[in-house]
Amino acid sequence: MGSALTRWLVAGSALLALLALPAVAPQYVVHISNFVLIYTLPVIGLGFLTGFTGRVSLAQGALFGTGAYTTALLTTKFGWAPIATLVPSVVVTVVLAVALGGAAVRLAGLYFVMATIGIQQIVWLVLMNWIELTNGPQGVRSIPSLGAWGYSFETPQQFYFLALGLALVSYVLAKRVIKSRLGLFLRALSDDQLAASSVAVEVGRAKVTALALSAAWAGAGGFLYAHYVRYIHPDMFGLEPSVLFLVMSMFGGYRSVEGMILATAVLESATEYLRPFGEFRMIAYGLVLLLGMMFFPKGILTLFRRRAATSAAGSSA
Amino acid sequence: MFGQLVIGGFATGCIYAVVGLGFTLVYRTLRMVNFAQGHVFMAGTFLGLVIAERMHLPALPLLLVVGAVAFGLGMVLERFVFRRLYHNHEVFIVGSIGLGIVLMNGVRVFFPEPVPFPKVFGSEVVQIGTARFQEAYLWVVAATLILVVLLHAMFTYTRTGRALRAVAADAEIAGAVGVNVKRAIGLTFGLSFAVAAIAGVLIGPLYFVSFDMGDMVGLKAFSAAVFGGINSIPGTILGGIVIGILENLAGGYISSAYKDLVAFVILLLMLIWRPTGLLGRETPVKV
Repeated sequence: MGSALTRWLVAGSALLALLALPAVAPQYVVHISNFVLIYTLPVIGLGFLTGFTGRVSLAQGALFGTGAYTTALLTTKFGWAPIATLVPSVVVTVVLAVALGGAAVRLAGLYFVMATIGIQQIVWLVLMNWIELTNGPQGVRSIPSLGAWGYSFETPQQFYFLALGLALVSYVLAKRVIKSRLGLFLRALSDDQLAASSVAVEVGRAKVTALALSAAWAGAGGFLYAHYVRYIHPDMFGLEPSVLFLVMSMFGGYRSVEGMILATAVLESATEYLRPFGEFRMIAYGLVLLLGMMFFPKGILTLFRRRAATSAAGSSA
Repeated sequence: MFGQLVIGGFATGCIYAVVGLGFTLVYRTLRMVNFAQGHVFMAGTFLGLVIAERMHLPALPLLLVVGAVAFGLGMVLERFVFRRLYHNHEVFIVGSIGLGIVLMNGVRVFFPEPVPFPKVFGSEVVQIGTARFQEAYLWVVAATLILVVLLHAMFTYTRTGRALRAVAADAEIAGAVGVNVKRAIGLTFGLSFAVAAIAGVLIGPLYFVSFDMGDMVGLKAFSAAVFGGINSIPGTILGGIVIGILENLAGGYISSAYKDLVAFVILLLMLIWRPTGLLGRETPVKV
């Protein structure tokens, strides 16, 4: 009883703090928060794949880009209303992910990672070279901002509420998926594949479903991203964001949606605050990845948990 | 045109093969993929550039010096960096990508623009049949051949080579029968750095060199290694050369824009069809 109440209180106050943020925080912080909210989508998506099937993907950046390019091209070249392209963005991304990765998702461990690198490079090269469709290295300019019912989400403050809304929806949906029958199958799958298949979990289909889910979240994230930055370029969706998303979900511990959101916030702000380092920024970023992996391989959050575990062990002794 | 494309592709393929060897050496021993490999190749190029310009070394000593420095660097990095990473392949992947980013942007600070590499391998044009190409291509092919023969001899006939193979086959048992496993792993990283850096010097004179050249070459060399069999040295050599030739032919006859796609499409198809690669033997976990 008590724990349920505390949980509601924590969730409620977190929500209130999030709602109040644009009113109190400077524009720059709101701007970064928008990226954090956008990135939580592909990161949660990656959690489906990695947390529940143990497969690590380095193609999430490409899927994110597929969503972004779908909406960008539909709105700028075909004159669609921005709000109408959310569904096509998600659908195209899912179809592409299943077409390219559906067969590869059977592969375990490192072999799946290798396949996703292939997928990542293929998508990036096509975005770069299919100039008639994507404008190639020119990128897509003047993507319209999102708007609905006479209200436009153009400034960082306006966009913040939209991103928050979508992030919340995706959070709640992710939680529901995890609790559903499908989530149960996926968890069974990641714990013991053989045991899961023996109790009638269709292993192959569950894995493809996890891949499709992760792509759907990435596509929705890409949709938001395109309408926020309003200029996209193939290099925004290369191996670099794939690595970033992977690290965010790794640091968050894959299976905990809250953990991944927190890790996204910490890492995204960290990369933003590295900006003053100028040309040394990327060196510092590389060092963060390298040292992070050397010293906190199981994520930043394990630091707290480990301390909690040792103190609990200490009190029981 | 065909001959020209094949010879050019063969030389590029040799580079993929040699850089790919770095992936293979580490993978055989640790079942890990070192994604800094391409950037080590790039760093080797710039090390060669600096040494060639400052000390005016001729070609052969230049290759040896760069190889030796890279070997030492590989050993040192294994001791202080990689050793903390190779308990888990995700950790190793992200860590090595981080290292690659550090290397790439470290070089970028000193060489922000593409620069020409001194023509250490001569600049004459050689003609075979109807194909004409630079002398440096011959160096690439010859050096690859010599490297492969040397590596083969080392793995087959020397005590150290046998120790390395024993560790690759089963580190625990190798340790139990008295092989110094840590030293073997250190040597493996040393070797993988050395071959990549030598490949970097070999390709330098053929193009302008830039800090981001390791990205594409590294990933293609990786595709080549997987295609041929990432745990097989002959497989990697074969994979590198086949991919080099195929992509040059695709670039010449189909479309230069999609030349770079060849390696990655082959990578994906190969993994789905036969994850162990053309000549690989290990069965991957697959349910």
